[in-house]
Amino acid sequence: MTIDFYWRLPTHGCHGSIRHGAYDRGDWSPLGPGNIAPGLDRNGEDDGFRYIDHLAEIAKAAESAGFIGGLIPSFPNTDDPWVISPLLARDTKTFRFMIAFQPGFLNPVHAARMSASLQRATGGRTVFNIITGGGGPAQLWWGDSFSHDDRYGRTTEFLDVFKGVWKETNFSYQGQFYQVEDGGLSPLLAREEIPEIWFSGSSDAALQSASKHADYYLSWLEPFDQLTDKFARVKERTAALGGEQKCAVRVDLVARPTEEEAWRDIRLGFENVGDQRRRQGRGGATDSVGAARQQALRPSEATRYEDLIVAPNLWGGFNLLRGGPALGIVGSYEQCAARLDELIARGTDAFILAGTPHLEEAYRVGEEVLPLLGRKADLLLDAAE
Amino acid sequence: MTIQTYWQIDVAAEPARSEISARGTAHGLFRDVRTSALNRYDYYAQIAQAAAQTAFDGVFLPHRRQSDDAAIVAAAIAREVPRIDLIAEFPASAGSAVYAAKQAVSFQRLARERLGWSIAPPLSAEERVRDGDRVADEDLIARTEEFLTVARGVHGEHPFSHAGRFFEVRGGGFEAPLNRVPFPRIFLQGESEEALALSARSADVHLFAAQSFVSLRSQIEALDALALREGRTVDFGLAQPVLAREDGDEACRDAARAAIGEFALVGDYDDVAARLAELARLGIRYFVLSAPSSLEEAYAVGQHILPRVRVLSEQLRAAA
Repeated sequence: MTIDFYWRLPTHGCHGSIRHGAYDRGDWSPLGPGNIAPGLDRNGEDDGFRYIDHLAEIAKAAESAGFIGGLIPSFPNTDDPWVISPLLARDTKTFRFMIAFQPGFLNPVHAARMSASLQRATGGRTVFNIITGGGGPAQLWWGDSFSHDDRYGRTTEFLDVFKGVWKETNFSYQGQFYQVEDGGLSPLLAREEIPEIWFSGSSDAALQSASKHADYYLSWLEPFDQLTDKFARVKERTAALGGEQKCAVRVDLVARPTEEEAWRDIRLGFENVGDQRRRQGRGGATDSVGAARQQALRPSEATRYEDLIVAPNLWGGFNLLRGGPALGIVGSYEQCAARLDELIARGTDAFILAGTPHLEEAYRVGEEVLPLLGRKADLLLDAAE
Repeated sequence: MTIQTYWQIDVAAEPARSEISARGTAHGLFRDVRTSALNRYDYYAQIAQAAAQTAFDGVFLPHRRQSDDAAIVAAAIAREVPRIDLIAEFPASAGSAVYAAKQAVSFQRLARERLGWSIAPPLSAEERVRDGDRVADEDLIARTEEFLTVARGVHGEHPFSHAGRFFEVRGGGFEAPLNRVPFPRIFLQGESEEALALSARSADVHLFAAQSFVSLRSQIEALDALALREGRTVDFGLAQPVLAREDGDEACRDAARAAIGEFALVGDYDDVAARLAELARLGIRYFVLSAPSSLEEAYAVGQHILPRVRVLSEQLRAAA
């Protein structure tokens, strides 16, 4: 058995270091000395590089370092994965583009055509991370006025139609949200594989939808016992509904040659976060159940980085250092590998990893951590001590 | 007035070219080492490169339901042709206007502000239900108009709110750095009165179908009057098939073989260039030129016709 490891393409700029909060890669920071993509040329003017040029570097690094592909997240102030993926399609060879998107935003027949076209552009390297929860005021920003549970119903119907027009000719469907008569993709498009589907969403409505259509159930990292229970529940519940579910974890790593070096970077990063920003945390209102579970870990009270160590090599303050989930793995290469091995033993079938900066860390994690997996990393650890 | 010349990449034309899996088993004597890794995307990129090398200003990708999505193709070839415009056509039924605007903004940011949008002419009612589109015939124009209003709204204003018949947004609009790029130029089509009226209200460019000089002139006058009433300026474009050869007889022979349409411009290089210059004089500013064989004809037109047209329009400008 092998495990698929994805990396992440940061779609909101990238920090040059986990120690500092500045997005100095991309144009989310002002154009100035030390910024890249765009940066300044020798005359002090925009050098003409765009953020996609940096994303191409990260995708190629991940591809070269052994990752099967990368998650491309989507939020109101990010670049869009449906544009990034085809832009990079012909620059990469094996890198799979995991497109995060909310199905309600596209007509499912049009989405099927776009997807089959992207499969043809990439040689079958499209993967979907279907997002349905999200919500709160952000949904209306996107132009979506459906309620949380209705959105899951819509996601299910979307995927019914998406797969239906792809797999069948003369496909008809009468749903609450979508109706199609006599539809179907042309033979040129229909012979492509339907992209693998990754689901996120912790609510009951989400699991019901996942059991029908998802290949992978994706969770942020949670404390290991909690995550083990969650995966067991997902697998059991979807099996009862007639589905089969693999489980995947999305987690950031700070992997260094020694544990001391890893924690030093965390300490410096933590100290660079102002008190006020620490109290505010990041992220806004949402009706996502997953986000609420993570917020329970929110480190607004912490005064020392050590306050946020929730278990060996598990630190709950990542959301202070960059947008996204709170909990991540910190340690030596061997320790990081041991934690990932433990997650595999507890039912994790695939991973989306990330580290800051995304470019350099793709090589580091791919070269230093991934090769240690499954090689009884615990024994390596003992030997190292 | 500078004219813009775009070359059409028809994703559904010449379906067997570069599409190895469409050719069936080869029984030839030659050793065929091509694999299915080679497909039309290689050809699309090659046509775009041909258009760029022969000094077209851009490529125009019509929406074709049976083939690759034009927006995906435009993005897939964008980094190989870093300077020319990329006009991608899609139907207004594609989905959320906000999401379409978001994708356009990313495209503009990442591919250097070269995107144009062409909204595909409405499909028949039968085709629409096949495509999961429930909007009735009489609402199509209104939907396209609202789609563009909302897409432009979230692009241009923050916060933008809208509660319409087809789209609802609250507190929408982009923040920095997403709000720094221009909205794509909008191309609309159609010869009906309603289509012209919609263009008068919403298009940047109205793309006329190839037709007789006389009827084109009356369409242009009609649209001009409508736009004037709206207090807007709409540029005129023309989707024009061409077939040009070194001598006119060859051109006629090849046009007959290719069964090229009634209103195609067929002739020797000087003839075709002169006809295009006449159309420019009539007010056409955007030419979407096309021919049955995209790659070879891009060279024929780009190398031989466009330089002549540029000289003619230079003379025209000097005379004016």
